[in-house]
Amino acid sequence: MSTIEVDQAEALQVQTQPAPRRRKIKRKTVNTIIWFVVLASITAVILYPLLWLVVSSFKPSSEFGQNPGLIPDNPTINNYIKVVEGIGGIPLWRFFANSLLIALSAVVGILISASLAAYAFARVKFKGVGILFACMIGTMLLPIHVIIIPQYIMFQKLELIDTYVPLILPKFLATEAFFVFLMVQFIRNIPRELDEAARIDGAGHLRIFFSIIVPLIKPAMITSAIFAFIWSWNDFLGPLLYLNSPEKYPLPIALRLYNDASSTSDYGATVAVSLLALLPILIFFVVFQRFLVDGVATQGLKG
Amino acid sequence: MFKSHKRRAFSVAAILMTSALALSACSGGSGAAGGDTASTYDPDEKVTLNLAFWGNDVRAAFYEEAIAAFNEEYPNITVNSSFLGFPEFWEKRQTEAAGGGLPDVMQFDYSYMRQYSENGLLLDLDPYLGNIIDTEPLSENILGIGVVDGVTTGIPTSTNAWAMYQNPKLLDQIGVEAYEGGGSWDDYAEWMQTATDAGEASGIYGGSDWGGRIQNFELQLRAEGSFLFSEDAEPGFDEADLTKFWEESAPLRDGVVIPQQRLEEVYPLAGFDTAQTVSELTWDNFGAAYLGGLGESYTELGLVAPPVTKEGAKDLYLKPSMLHTISAKTEHPEAAATLVNFLINSPEVGAIFGTSRGLPASETQLEGAKLDGLDAQIRDYEESIADRLGDAPPVPIIGAGTLEEKFRQIGTELGFGTMTVDEAVDQFFNEMDVVLNQ
Repeated sequence: MSTIEVDQAEALQVQTQPAPRRRKIKRKTVNTIIWFVVLASITAVILYPLLWLVVSSFKPSSEFGQNPGLIPDNPTINNYIKVVEGIGGIPLWRFFANSLLIALSAVVGILISASLAAYAFARVKFKGVGILFACMIGTMLLPIHVIIIPQYIMFQKLELIDTYVPLILPKFLATEAFFVFLMVQFIRNIPRELDEAARIDGAGHLRIFFSIIVPLIKPAMITSAIFAFIWSWNDFLGPLLYLNSPEKYPLPIALRLYNDASSTSDYGATVAVSLLALLPILIFFVVFQRFLVDGVATQGLKG
Repeated sequence: MFKSHKRRAFSVAAILMTSALALSACSGGSGAAGGDTASTYDPDEKVTLNLAFWGNDVRAAFYEEAIAAFNEEYPNITVNSSFLGFPEFWEKRQTEAAGGGLPDVMQFDYSYMRQYSENGLLLDLDPYLGNIIDTEPLSENILGIGVVDGVTTGIPTSTNAWAMYQNPKLLDQIGVEAYEGGGSWDDYAEWMQTATDAGEASGIYGGSDWGGRIQNFELQLRAEGSFLFSEDAEPGFDEADLTKFWEESAPLRDGVVIPQQRLEEVYPLAGFDTAQTVSELTWDNFGAAYLGGLGESYTELGLVAPPVTKEGAKDLYLKPSMLHTISAKTEHPEAAATLVNFLINSPEVGAIFGTSRGLPASETQLEGAKLDGLDAQIRDYEESIADRLGDAPPVPIIGAGTLEEKFRQIGTELGFGTMTVDEAVDQFFNEMDVVLNQ
């Protein structure tokens, strides 16, 4: 279609000398406008649900269902006021603080434990390294439902239910095979000559790890940190099983308290609190997005 | 190939191990409390109890008040409460049940009673009935509700009955008289037709398809002297009964009731609480939620009896809206029973909760509750249907919830017209085969 148009334009150009330039530009502009309109309308369709969510957070609860349109009949800020006051006597910031505490601990734990474990698998030669590595990869294949009950029994016998320990301790023990694997692959790409040069200078494993490896796997560490944060922030099942006191709940569980299927659901509050809960992760993503792209792009080590 | 087999074998082994663990954790426990434990109990001992319930922040605030009142009387018993939404509540309980860590006292749902009782997870309350737990204010009917296989494991907090809600403001708007309650199913269908015709211009319908709710089917079965499911999971109906039920409601789906399309648009709300239908057959404790959903411009609802299938039949019954149970593994059964007694019988708790959990089951609690508006309507309604109330059916069979949901799903298919009645009956019986014979 467009090539035909271009051909015609060229044909016109040959026939009449002065006018055609402008006509060509005009054609181009028309094309651009058409593309722009088409793309903009597709984008609008895709973004509409999100826009609806944002605008609907200003609808009073009773308007959900009676007014399916975009614009609220009686706009109100009450949803936000109610949500910030919290639920069951616990203010909203408390849930944010809990989520943040769990997520940051998870990030720290994973960075320390996964990088150490990865170094051992990639650089230290010991008996059974192959089998142990396979075992670790094997844990990635285990569905979570298989281990959840034994794990619960274990923490219950240790009397650690209703503390954050069951949520944080495993992260310090390199149980997240995905991150170990990610870093192992990264370390394997680093030339061994660097370690060997350090060894000749008299460095032991610890020195090599901290002075050579850690600075070089920074992109992998940043990627891991971002994923660890997002996964932990969104984790629902773990906190649900291990925490009993409402004042210890993280955000995803608190979110569900606004939406109770057996009695009245407060849809206005649900929508408002969902938006608020999205914010930190959005900010986190915007700030670290550059590193995320770097982390994925820096596959090999050049130079 | 070989590898994947090995992996599968491994995961099967892992699953078997887990279920073995789960089962071993389930067994044992029940019946630990002998008949004389109540007498050796020291009421002043300092203990801590865990209490778990599902609900929203309003209910959480009610429980907080109730616990404060409890602590005035029993300062030595500390109660740690924990609450979640309904699905999460049960997800957590399932894991705890397998791991042996159920909370001491639980708000419980009727549909889970059989499963938890038969696995020995709930404390046998018989030794405490009549001493720690005052049974004077509870009628035989009500105590009988929490009995599974001859053992009392739960006490209902409150009761619901099947009823018909109406929206008087919408009826005014379309100029149709309210349905007076009772009557035959044909009378009700005719009235819905009138309302739908009158409300055509404003998009208001007479009601929704009663064929989509298993409770309406149960109501008709009970009227004929049958039942939905027996204690031994035998259905009380055959293909012909179900075909008849769905065929009788077929004309409704042809322009009388609200179209399924409209209902899908407002889901999880329903036609009634989005002010699109003027009547709805449902449990009588749904009133408050309906008013909440309708918003401030709607202040009252009509509450009348559902249609009568057969004159003089005992087709209605009181269903517990929720129960209180105690974990079989609790370390302080007497203190837990004391708390349950307080939550069930105390007039103060009645005053705090009103009818938000249903109409209080205990007479003392009912007296304590200040009932006005909708609450009083519900009390009057449950009194007015006394001569239609029969014995409650046995505690729901395992899988009853799945079948109820299947029934609802088939109802929506019928509403869309994507399934014939014969196909629907086939599908439901197939599902029943799977659920009942597993």
